[in-house]
Amino acid sequence: MGLGMLASRVMRPTASKLPRNLLSHFHIRPIVSTPESSAAQAQPEPEPTPPPRAPVAGARVHFKNPDDAIEVFVDGYPVKIPKGMTVLQACEVAGVDIPRFCYHSRLSIAGNCRMCLVEVEKSPKPVASCAMPALPGMKIKTDTPVAKKAREGVMEFLLMNHPLDCPICDQGGECDLQDQSMAFGSDRGRFTEMKRSVVDKNLGPLVKTVMTRCIQCTRCVRFATEVAGVQDLGMLGRGSGEEIGTYVEKLMTSELSGNVIDICPVGALTSKPFAFKARNWELKGTETIDVTDAVGSNIRIDSRGPEVLRILPRLNEDINEEWISDKTRFFYDGLKRQRLNDPMIRGADGRFKAVSWRDALAVVAEVAHQTKPEEIVGIAGQLSDAESMMALKDFLNKMGSNNVWCEGNGVNTDADLRSGYLMNSGIAGLEKADVFLLVGTQPRVEAAMVNARIQKTVRATQAKVGYIGPAADFNYDHQHLGIGPQTLIEIAEGRHPFCSALLNAKNPAIIVGAGLFERKDKDAIFSAVETISKYAKVVRPDWNGFNVLLLNAAQAAALDLGLVPESGKSIESAKFVYLMGADDVNMEKVPVDAFVVYQGHHGDRGVYRANVILPAAAFSEKEGTYENTEGCVQQTLPAVPTVGDARDDWKIIRALSEVAGVRLPYDSLGAIRSRIKTVAPNLVHMDEREPATFSASLKPDFSHKMSLTAFGSTIENFYMTDSITRASKIMAQCSALLLKK
Amino acid sequence: MAFTLRSVKVPPNSASLEEARHRVFDFFRAACRSLPTVMEIYNLHDVATVSQLRSTVASEIRKNSHVTNPKVIDMLLFKAMEELGNIAEHAKQRHHIIGQYVVGRQGLVQDVGTKDQGISNFLKNFYNTNY
Repeated sequence: MGLGMLASRVMRPTASKLPRNLLSHFHIRPIVSTPESSAAQAQPEPEPTPPPRAPVAGARVHFKNPDDAIEVFVDGYPVKIPKGMTVLQACEVAGVDIPRFCYHSRLSIAGNCRMCLVEVEKSPKPVASCAMPALPGMKIKTDTPVAKKAREGVMEFLLMNHPLDCPICDQGGECDLQDQSMAFGSDRGRFTEMKRSVVDKNLGPLVKTVMTRCIQCTRCVRFATEVAGVQDLGMLGRGSGEEIGTYVEKLMTSELSGNVIDICPVGALTSKPFAFKARNWELKGTETIDVTDAVGSNIRIDSRGPEVLRILPRLNEDINEEWISDKTRFFYDGLKRQRLNDPMIRGADGRFKAVSWRDALAVVAEVAHQTKPEEIVGIAGQLSDAESMMALKDFLNKMGSNNVWCEGNGVNTDADLRSGYLMNSGIAGLEKADVFLLVGTQPRVEAAMVNARIQKTVRATQAKVGYIGPAADFNYDHQHLGIGPQTLIEIAEGRHPFCSALLNAKNPAIIVGAGLFERKDKDAIFSAVETISKYAKVVRPDWNGFNVLLLNAAQAAALDLGLVPESGKSIESAKFVYLMGADDVNMEKVPVDAFVVYQGHHGDRGVYRANVILPAAAFSEKEGTYENTEGCVQQTLPAVPTVGDARDDWKIIRALSEVAGVRLPYDSLGAIRSRIKTVAPNLVHMDEREPATFSASLKPDFSHKMSLTAFGSTIENFYMTDSITRASKIMAQCSALLLKK
Repeated sequence: MAFTLRSVKVPPNSASLEEARHRVFDFFRAACRSLPTVMEIYNLHDVATVSQLRSTVASEIRKNSHVTNPKVIDMLLFKAMEELGNIAEHAKQRHHIIGQYVVGRQGLVQDVGTKDQGISNFLKNFYNTNY
């Protein structure tokens, strides 16, 4: 605008001499122009028809079959849409945003709010566009007096019983009802009686309800039934006595329950931890990703100053669609508790004393040098980013040790073939599968978003799900085939009834849980799974249904970078243990005389045994690369400043390497990424999914005895899986109230 | 501090760099002459000596040694006169003087010694801040 405005200012004194219409022209489009072109513009132009508008929110039309295209007219413009689209979708393609409350593109159509009324030619009454299929040649009018009057009438009815408490409502500022009553409502109402009031429901520690504000759009009911797969919510009563509830006093126990906060168009369902904390316009949004599981859900961190105030989902069709799990949404208060903010050294009396970075690093370097190289061990934690893991591996290699791994990956995990540890179908690709075989994995607690995909597939196509593992909670139909390797062997040998389902499937998918990595007989289990995948034709050129569902955000990147220990027994003989955020290592195995350095952001299990603490930044405070379970590389961005004297993970290792005299050759994120590029080039291609090139069939045959101990459940408590969630008060409340005992 | 402002008169601009330079020397002399009083009124005898304070003043002046524009020098001089006036009139408190001129800008932690010799810029920056 700068140049154009300047130009118009320059022109203004002479503009008075120009003809009248030209003057107005200059005001509308101030452009810098040569005398020739301005003379050309001076010619009176014929009124051009305005070009058709761009589709709402970049809506795209996908024609499966060109014959299915039909043409409708929206406000006089012809648009081509596929058969079966509704009038509302046709309007969106035409670039007209129809106001709506009950309609949501990912839920079934209810058609009960009547806000989306439009006029259709030759129809006697305005029609609800969300529920009306578009017919060829339909002439839709969205801007006529009839449509406007209809919206105004609907708004008046909705506001009849809606309290006027916007100033104390948490939805204020991002409320659909507020926005639409400003845009389409009348300036006065004719209602004089008392407003109705509804008793609030207790839905648990996460969702706050103010049921008087509810406009009965039933989005939450449909979400709970269709996406979350729980039949918790429903509609009670008729007419003006209608209300949303659980019928009997019952908490909402779905792991996706937080999403009803997002889909509620009014302030009836709001976030309990966020209640009265902030207004949405005061917040700074940072688009980043989630690290509490291996899915890497896309999130937006809303912060004010140094404080994370809430976490919202971001749209990513390939990973989390527009939902996130409750753990992702509500664990953020853990970022404020139990933080390590100063380097500390444990004194002779067993107490920690805060020291300067200089002293802490000097002590660590000194001890590392006194230790024999083969007794040095480094363990990356489940929240580590790729950069810091690269630095850790390089540092330990320079010290002469190669005993470095990422917790959760087991001791001798095969990191050679990416297909052996990735979800090869892709998360979105699971929707194509028609038979699932879950081996030792409980996706509902291990990766709630992957579970939501499976649930969606099962609901849409009645796909069969077979499950081998301990008794677990599922929110879709499944067959519990067995509890341990015995069943797996039966299927591999073709003796099990489920084999026919696998053989008849078009796109069978096998999902193996990463919890099996910790088992001693994991190679035998994987070779059994490969036998199944061979005879069931799970891996074909057009379909790869062999999947490993990882548990932690760091796992995939760690295996890509080759963080595999040299020997399985290294931790028992270690004298110098470097824990980079690793809290789930069995610390009893570490010898008593070992020197333990804990680098991390939370005072969690690792700290109890540590001799030196180096405070690091949490994922919300640093830029880091993470690879999710399907091999999609994404990065976090800093939303808030670091706490106290903490430093970024890779910087600590880089600084330590210099103090120890084995200086690592990178000083910046860019330099460390080019180092990563030489090891795992896929890790620098942000937001891209790099599928595995070679399939597992290249692996040599392996025959080992499989132990018959049943598969264990990997995650005991869905709400507390890592150091941040364990420090969170909300997660503690959730595990106290919502876990099934 | 209206009483100081009333007394301070803005002198005419220096005509040349030479004149400005002279004025700086005049200011330094004025500052040196007021130092014994300053020591007295702020009770600085146990934390600093006159010669320490004098070298602090000199180093504050040398910080701007790169300035060659007489107008800018005049402006800096004016600010310096104002500061000196405030100090001499006891418009400050003891901790202001100690914080600004005795301890210095680095703060109380001053362990820059031989330890930081030969380390990279990365490490120096690492010890200071995360950013």
